[in-house]
Amino acid sequence: MEMAKAIVVNIEKCLACKSCEIACALAHSKSKVLEEAVAESPRPQRMVTVEPAGEFGVPIQCRHCEAAPCVEICPTGAIQRQSKEAPIVVEKELCIGCKLCILICPFGVLRIGPEGRAIIKCDMCLERMEEGQDPACVEACPTKALKLVSLEETTKTKRREASKQLVKEVEQKKSKSKEE
Amino acid sequence: MAAIAAAQENADAEVMVVTQDRLPYRRPAIPALIAGYIKGPEGAKVFSPETLAQYNVKLICPAEATDIDPKSKVISILSDGKKEKLAYDAAVIATGGHPLIPKIPGADKKGVCTFTTYEAAVEIVEAAKTASCAVVVGAGFIALEIAEALMHKGLDVYFNVRSRILRRLLEPELSEFLSRKFEQQGLKMLTGEAISEIGGKSSVEYVIHKGKKIATTLVVMGTGVKPNVALAEKCGIELGPTGAVKIDNHMRTSATDIYAVGDCAESPDLGTGRFVYSPVGSIGAAAGRIAGKNAAGASQETKGFLRAQADHILGMQIFSIGHSTTSAKEVNLKVDVHALTAPASGEKSCERTSFQIAKLLTDTHDKIVGAQLVAKKFGSQFAWQLYEAVLAGENREEFLERFNCPRMKMAEALVQAVKSTVVVESVGEDKALKLADKTDQRNTS
Repeated sequence: MEMAKAIVVNIEKCLACKSCEIACALAHSKSKVLEEAVAESPRPQRMVTVEPAGEFGVPIQCRHCEAAPCVEICPTGAIQRQSKEAPIVVEKELCIGCKLCILICPFGVLRIGPEGRAIIKCDMCLERMEEGQDPACVEACPTKALKLVSLEETTKTKRREASKQLVKEVEQKKSKSKEE
Repeated sequence: MAAIAAAQENADAEVMVVTQDRLPYRRPAIPALIAGYIKGPEGAKVFSPETLAQYNVKLICPAEATDIDPKSKVISILSDGKKEKLAYDAAVIATGGHPLIPKIPGADKKGVCTFTTYEAAVEIVEAAKTASCAVVVGAGFIALEIAEALMHKGLDVYFNVRSRILRRLLEPELSEFLSRKFEQQGLKMLTGEAISEIGGKSSVEYVIHKGKKIATTLVVMGTGVKPNVALAEKCGIELGPTGAVKIDNHMRTSATDIYAVGDCAESPDLGTGRFVYSPVGSIGAAAGRIAGKNAAGASQETKGFLRAQADHILGMQIFSIGHSTTSAKEVNLKVDVHALTAPASGEKSCERTSFQIAKLLTDTHDKIVGAQLVAKKFGSQFAWQLYEAVLAGENREEFLERFNCPRMKMAEALVQAVKSTVVVESVGEDKALKLADKTDQRNTS
């Protein structure tokens, strides 16, 4: 992944259908088949949660923060990112289940796993991404509320639109003064 | 932990771990083992020999280190009846702690279990198969986790604590609150007094609390640990006033090139700089990493560790950071307790944007030295801010000004992102001239 990507949501389009939650759990199950996954033990866990906020639904998952508090507080170094563009992942073998990461996440996106380890955290579907697929939640979203965007592209688009509108305003003013 | 850190620090180092356990495993995983979430030692293990090999660490187990000669730098070990000697450049003692068993008559009967080792936990798992009722005598989080695990297995569980639950971590009001909540969840609380007797012929049949007899076949002791300093004492290493191995800020003991970490050793407390006995997993792991690095040649030191613990018991998220009134008393620190309420947010207060109960503890300069919080969901969004505040020793008033609800802010930000289009307002020529005049006047007056 060359550019920094993030999963963002357009909450006006979110129906709170929770397809993202199921797709996430399924993508992280052993069988990857819904009928089998529901019977798996330990039960596959979702890493994105749709939260009601006013009249909107907001899917919330790990933000893969730049200066992630979880990475800093982990006493064993189990929570790491491999490189600047890579997502933050929990190395299960090093996790001792002390739960400090759960204590410190500002967004509350870490949960205790069923095995007593705190691993429930979005991993940006690393495996899927490496095979050229989108994260499971993004692919599953029926209204395309969830998108995987490159942050640079997003800000570029905003700058372009802002400058277009500025130009439009100036030209409108020019034509108005011409008429007068 | 120390071994891996040492291996990572110095690629040329030969690192070995000597342990009496059959396989290194995580103590905090034991409640999960009891609940049935994980099956055997493979689930509880943290480092398989293969993983350790990947980190270039050699595992010697099961083996007991029987003696260390700090002068000749040789460790004597006993493995499978055979004696061996290992020469070392640096050694880290991490012999852990022994469970403290209260002096209750009958505590030696069959059916009274502890849980600091895998084997002990297996005993509990076996007993739980046929038991219908269990009594957990507890102090801290792990005892509560075990109680919850046994409830999950279908047993009737009684939780006995002499004074109140989580006494060292929480203020009385929070203990009280949690006690009530846990009872609502079905955990039967036996508080205020220790069990006076454990009765039965050869194995446990009942316990007596406040004169009442409770039939049970399983009693789990979760009443804390005392440091296992046998090895350290044997080789003449100094103990601190707490009875645990004395160390400095580099995790060094009184013997050259020997370090000590974890439940067997003391550790520096960040707030006061004093050395205390703090048998908490996260502190042990952090100390282990420092000791490992130093054993491999580095010179890392720490100003101290900030005790921070969190857990999720019976639907309640519990966070405890820094000092409580109990721990403050032990280091002669005068503290004030302040109630903390959830920050006001645009949306009406609910599970997601608020918490149940919280406290801030300050010293005589109104500096935050401790914080506690109980929430149903997403408590960490507040706990994170509390942790930073205690770590930085922030002034209470300043903290309260910036205390906010991140999840709410995130939702609000997303709403704003959608609603706000880029608007460039054109100011008519007239208005522009008037504004220009005004600015001129302001600038020249």
